[in-house]
Parts: sequence; C-alpha cells; structure tokens
Amino acid sequence: MKIKKVLGIESTAHTWSVGIIGFDGTVFSLVNDMYIPEKGGLHPALVKEQHLNNFMNIINQALLEASISIHDIDLIAFSKSPGLGPILKIGAQAARMLTQLLDIPIVAVNHCIAHIEIGRLMCKIEDPLTLYVSGGNTIVSAYESGRYQIFGETLDIPIGNLIDSFARDVGLPHPGGPKIEKLAFKSNKYLSLPYVVKGMDLSFSGLYTAAKRLLESKDYNKKYNLNDVAYSLQETAFAMLTEVTERALAHTEKKEVLLTGGVAANKRLQEMIKYISAEHGTRFEVVPLKYSGDNGAMIGWTGLLRYEAEGGHTVLETQINPKERMDQITIPWRD
Amino acid sequence: MIDEIVIEKLFYKGAEASLFYGHWFGKEVIFKLRSPKNYRIEQLDKKIRVLRTLNEARALIKVKNYGVNVPQVYEIDTESSTIVMKYIKGEKLKDFMNSIEDDKKQQIFNEIGKYVAILHKNGHIHGDLTTSNILITPIQEIFIIDFGLHNYSDSIEDKSVDLHLFKRVLLSSHGTDYKICFDAFLEGYRTEYAKAKVNESKEIIRNMTTIETRGRYIKKEDRK
Repeated sequence: MKIKKVLGIESTAHTWSVGIIGFDGTVFSLVNDMYIPEKGGLHPALVKEQHLNNFMNIINQALLEASISIHDIDLIAFSKSPGLGPILKIGAQAARMLTQLLDIPIVAVNHCIAHIEIGRLMCKIEDPLTLYVSGGNTIVSAYESGRYQIFGETLDIPIGNLIDSFARDVGLPHPGGPKIEKLAFKSNKYLSLPYVVKGMDLSFSGLYTAAKRLLESKDYNKKYNLNDVAYSLQETAFAMLTEVTERALAHTEKKEVLLTGGVAANKRLQEMIKYISAEHGTRFEVVPLKYSGDNGAMIGWTGLLRYEAEGGHTVLETQINPKERMDQITIPWRD
Repeated sequence: MIDEIVIEKLFYKGAEASLFYGHWFGKEVIFKLRSPKNYRIEQLDKKIRVLRTLNEARALIKVKNYGVNVPQVYEIDTESSTIVMKYIKGEKLKDFMNSIEDDKKQQIFNEIGKYVAILHKNGHIHGDLTTSNILITPIQEIFIIDFGLHNYSDSIEDKSVDLHLFKRVLLSSHGTDYKICFDAFLEGYRTEYAKAKVNESKEIIRNMTTIETRGRYIKKEDRK
C-alpha cells in the first residue's frame, strides 16, 4: 500500500506532540502540548496526567489544522524509546488504539533516530555527523555500518539537564536554557570550572557541582555575580561539546555537521559548532527550532522511512523500551 | 641557527592539533602545534593548550622508559603550545586494518594490549586510545601516539575507562572486526599485566563491564 499521510505521536518526556506528514516530507500540521512544572523538574506522574487528559484533543487539533479526517491517515507512528516509562506508555496506547480502530499499519520509532532523520529532511543534508543535545540526551552520532553509531555521549547527566538544574537552583522556572543564555550574554568574566573530556565522551556532573559551589561561596555577589557563573558554565560546557564534536569529525571524516535537540537553539553553541565545521571545510546546519525540539513530525517521518523499507510492526512488536540505545537499531532505509 | 629549524609542510590537521613535518637540527621531526581554538574564550583556551602540551610531553618522555614505542620528544614550547618530536613513518591503524588478514589483526591487537598493560601497570592512563592514535610502521612496529589526554592514576576505575573507550571505538568504527580484535587485545593486556599483578587485570576487565552497565539506555537483559 502506498502511504500518503502518516500521523506521528511523540511522547517521551514533557511534550505530547502530534504531527501529520506526507510521503514526500510535507508537514501538514504539527501540534505540541508541553508540560510545564510549577516548580521543580518533570514529575512523571504529573506529566502523565496532563498527557492523558489532552492526548485526543491534540490529535483532533492536528487533524483539524491539516484539514483532513482521521480516515485519511494511512500509517500511525509513535515514539517507543527512549524516555520516561509512564509517558512512553501513553503514546504506545494511543497508537495501538488508533491502529486497531482504523485498521492501518503501525510503526514504533526510536526518538533519537527521529531527531536525526527530521534534521536530514529539513536541512536537506545527506550523511551528517550529528550533535544531539537536549534535556535527556547528549550524543555525538554518525551513520556507519548500517547503524547510527554513538561516537561520544555523556557519562552522567545530559547537557540540557545540567542547564535546567542550574537554572532551577537559582530560582529560574522551567525551561531554564533560554534564561541562562540571556544571563550569560551579559557577562564576559570567566571563572574557572572543571573541564572533563574522556576521549569523545563527556562528564557534566562535576561541572554542575562546581557551579553550584560558586553560588554558595562567600564571594558570590561580591567578586562575581550570577551572570558570570552562567557565562562560565555555558562557556565550559559548550567548549567541551565542541571539542568532542570536532574529535568525532576528525575521526569519521564526515562532510556535514548537524546540530539538533532542544539545546541546539542556543546561539552561543551554534556559533561554536559552526566555527569548527568551517575550519574542517564541512557544511553546518542547525535544525529549525520547530523541528529541533521534540515533535510528532519527526516520529511520523521516521516511521514512514521504516515502513517503506521493511513494512509495519505487529502490535506485539510495539512494546515500549525506555532504555533502548540508538546504536542497537539497524537502519534499513540507508545505503 | 634559525636555519636549523625548518617547518616544511602541514602533515596532518587533527581535531586538536596540527602536525607539521620538518627538520630540527638535521633530524626528521613533527611539530605538533596546538593552535588557539577561537571557538572557546582565550582564558579557557590557553589553560587547556598549555596543560595538554606539558602533559603530553612529560608522558611521552616517561612512557618511553618502560619500552613502549612512542615518538621521542626533542623540544617543547609552552608559549606556542608546540612539541617537537621524532617523525615516525607509519600508517594509522584505522587505515591499515582494511589491508590485512584476521590473524595479522589478532597479532597486532595482542601487542597493543601488551603496550596498554605496560602503561597501566606503571600508572599511566592514555585517555584517548583509538585506532587513529596507533601507528604501524613499514616494519610493523606499533607506536602509540597522542598523549594529550593522558593522566596519572593507579585506580582500577581510570584504567577500566581507558579500556572501555577503546572498546567503544572498535565497536563504532570497526564493528565487523570488533570481536577478534578486542579479544586479542584483552588477551595481550591480561598476559602482560599478570607479570606484575595477577589479579588486578581481572578486576580492571570486570570493572570495565560494570562501566558499560552504567551507560545510558542499556537494557537490563543486554547487560553482560
């Protein structure tokens, strides 16, 4: 059967998103519903509650914006991994319900691979080295021998988690990234912080602790202020990310660099990755904001790629897997 | 005097440093230059470059004494973050691997394992073991290069991380050869290490698998 329209459901963390995308990559609609905690971080049970209450509304809204009926959908795709278990389940349940109700095929998709695939589509890029930076992931990946191999990753907390946690400690509400970026922009006073690169892997937890100590020190607000700490945190963490990306670039000899994930929106990080890409004579692309964060369109698109390469999954094959790594999955639609 | 030092051509541009080929008082040398990285702020940049230059030069000098093949250091200059070292004519293991048979691969990886064990036994952590950082000379000597991320440690954990990183590179870049190569590597490592401390290598290798289970997104069933 020729697939014309796919409905993609993203539900791995705070965002419940539904995207309707065509076989040629046209996005007909994309509707997001993001859980924003009043205080603290993401509490899975509360996120789950919000998604459960809203999921059908968002699906309907996506159909309305695309001006189509649910019967015009030929394929359902959803995010089955990685993410928070209770939240992945809602996506899986909604997708299984729709596949049986409408009697159309279903495809389960890995969230990280979807980030790369939508980036390749939107930036018209062939074979990039990808730096994927978000609240849940920090991965340097490239396609090699049939898989998206992980060349570098965080050994502890993801970069987005570092920034969000730090923002929360200083009383800035979620999402903290854009606010920290603004504060950092106002300073150029660098305070020494731990810089930890192990081969192509990174560690951010020591950096987080050290930044927190700077806030607790008696010199805080005397010799330096919050802007300076935010600036130093960003400069150190992003220099680490840029260094491992450059290492991976030299190692894989790819000709394109793709920056994606929620933290890709940061202008300073973009500037740094752009700089090393230019130095190596490689093309550099940032995935547009709408598609760099978690979104249903990327799930729909990746689901379509897999369906066209090897057909759909049976319902039994659509079990969620909160801890699946992207390098465990074969990619039949490339090569 | 100045004629004695001649930088002839850019030999290789890596992620962190540029290697220039030239002559230094009649000797064939590589000038390893850690040039400023303009993407990061000057203060941080300077700190990283000076630290790694000193670190690498010291490591190369010390490690050579244990009989590990590394380029000899002739001169260092922290101001320009440059190390002048002996030119080693050879091919990166990464490129060399495609042109040899399995038994040859095993032999080479066994020997690499031996060298890494010598480093570890003496408290040296390479910090960036990859197939790009190992050279094979025309007479098939093995040289370990690029000690920029080297550190001193006697902890099991640091040694395990060193092995773990090497394993990851083999898996991601040489997936089909991974098993025979890494098995041979561990065999060489274990044998050499056992000459000094019989049980420590076991512990290091066991801890390496523990590190893997700490990795993000590893299913319980897949933890070996």
